[in-house]
Amino acid sequence: MHATIQKPVEEILGYFKPGERVFIVGCDNCAAKCHSGGIPETEEMAGRLKSRGVDVIGWCVPQPKGVSLCKLANTARVLQEEYGKETGQADSFLVLACGQGFHTVMDATGGSMVHPGCDTIFGGETVSDTFITEYCSLCGECIVEYTGGLCPVTLCAKSLLNGPCGGAKDGKCEVDKTRDCGWQLIYERLKALGRLEELSAYKEPKNYSRWSRPRSLTIGEGEVTFKSLSGEHTVASHD
Amino acid sequence: MEGYVTAVNVTDLQSAVMRVGSLAVSARLLERGIEPVFQISCRDRNRLALQSDLLSAWAFGVENVLCITGDHPVLGDHTEAKPVYDLDSVQLLKAADMLNQGKDMTGHSLESSPDFFLGAVVTPSADPVEPQIIKMKKKINAGAAFFQTQAVYEPDKFEQFMNKIQSFNVPVIAGIVLLKSAAMARFMNSNVAGINVPQTIIQELEETSKEDRRHKTVEITARIIRDIKPFCQGIHIMPLGWNELVPEIIEQACLN
Ligand code: SF4
Repeated sequence: MHATIQKPVEEILGYFKPGERVFIVGCDNCAAKCHSGGIPETEEMAGRLKSRGVDVIGWCVPQPKGVSLCKLANTARVLQEEYGKETGQADSFLVLACGQGFHTVMDATGGSMVHPGCDTIFGGETVSDTFITEYCSLCGECIVEYTGGLCPVTLCAKSLLNGPCGGAKDGKCEVDKTRDCGWQLIYERLKALGRLEELSAYKEPKNYSRWSRPRSLTIGEGEVTFKSLSGEHTVASHD
Repeated sequence: MEGYVTAVNVTDLQSAVMRVGSLAVSARLLERGIEPVFQISCRDRNRLALQSDLLSAWAFGVENVLCITGDHPVLGDHTEAKPVYDLDSVQLLKAADMLNQGKDMTGHSLESSPDFFLGAVVTPSADPVEPQIIKMKKKINAGAAFFQTQAVYEPDKFEQFMNKIQSFNVPVIAGIVLLKSAAMARFMNSNVAGINVPQTIIQELEETSKEDRRHKTVEITARIIRDIKPFCQGIHIMPLGWNELVPEIIEQACLN
């Protein structure tokens, strides 16, 4: 999931020109889980902006329940058909969702002016209703097979691939005494799994061209193609 | 200090604080006939810049290179800087070793090759120490021909560590930071990774009057050096400004 957090309302207020008619859009998947753009937060934002003099002409969180705002076909249908009357009068949209959902609203409204209501902060695991944390950096080249399933690119503050720096103290990382040293976690997990020998193997530097942006994925007949600066990489979904 | 030390370590934006670079200082030392240990960290440069700076160092006549990870930017004075770490210290050693063999990381041949004496660091009192030892072995395989350690204050523990890595057969230069006061020792114990100043030393410093402090620092440092000397191949004194004490320490430690 894409974790997001709302921008301060003062910052959002600064976006609008006098008299601008604004339609607010939330997301019922990730942003709802982050309490940054679910139904209650989107309705609340409409009220907060209205009470500060913004001309909010409507709001919605595209349904069906739990659907992602970044599904363009659904978002376009909801904004153009279900809410066509309001969105037709809108000068701009405020999106309470991640950067992908944000762009989806641009696409779904024919390139309208769209304002970001959230900062997109990371991709994470929804550990519980109240805690989301990051285990993957979306680098394009997964190496966790060799690190006990724990990603050093994400869990080590320096993204070291060949083992710990000398900075850990009492199992905590040098950057923050409250944060576990990622390599300490990897070491303990490999030890528990009886796979400590993985630590001895030299790991090549990462191919950062697979982490180039923007990247894309094209889904074809029985095959998918990943495109990045490392080139096009096609994988068949069956033998 | 001439006549007392063999080489001088030149740190690379130590503690992630911006200052003049280690390459320029190393080159200046060479001009004065002083042998530098050029430290190069992975924090601020990608693989292009690291390899290029290594070749630049060679062009200036630098031979000793210490390849280190580098403290994270948030520990320094430019906390919002982008941490690079394109390579880690093992990969940097391997890249430098490839340069020694006349090739860059992509396999392209160099017109002429350097002949660096490559070093790396290890933290003997890390807890657990096993990952440090595994990484040390990787560093040796990648090309490290000598090691420098984090500051050592416990000769017994250091001896145990040296026994564990005996089979590596690689020279180890033990580090020692001058302890200026009991407060500094306590600060390092709670804030600096891999440093453990024993209570007995802290007490010794505490019981010393301010006037006698420098004298005490020399005495403690020389004593530790005498104790660890039999287990290692060199000593790296980090005086943190009290440079004038170094000759006396070396004399008292019978290193000359
Ligand atoms: S202390 Fe651990 S997590 Fe932090 S930078 Fe060093 S190896 Fe990485």
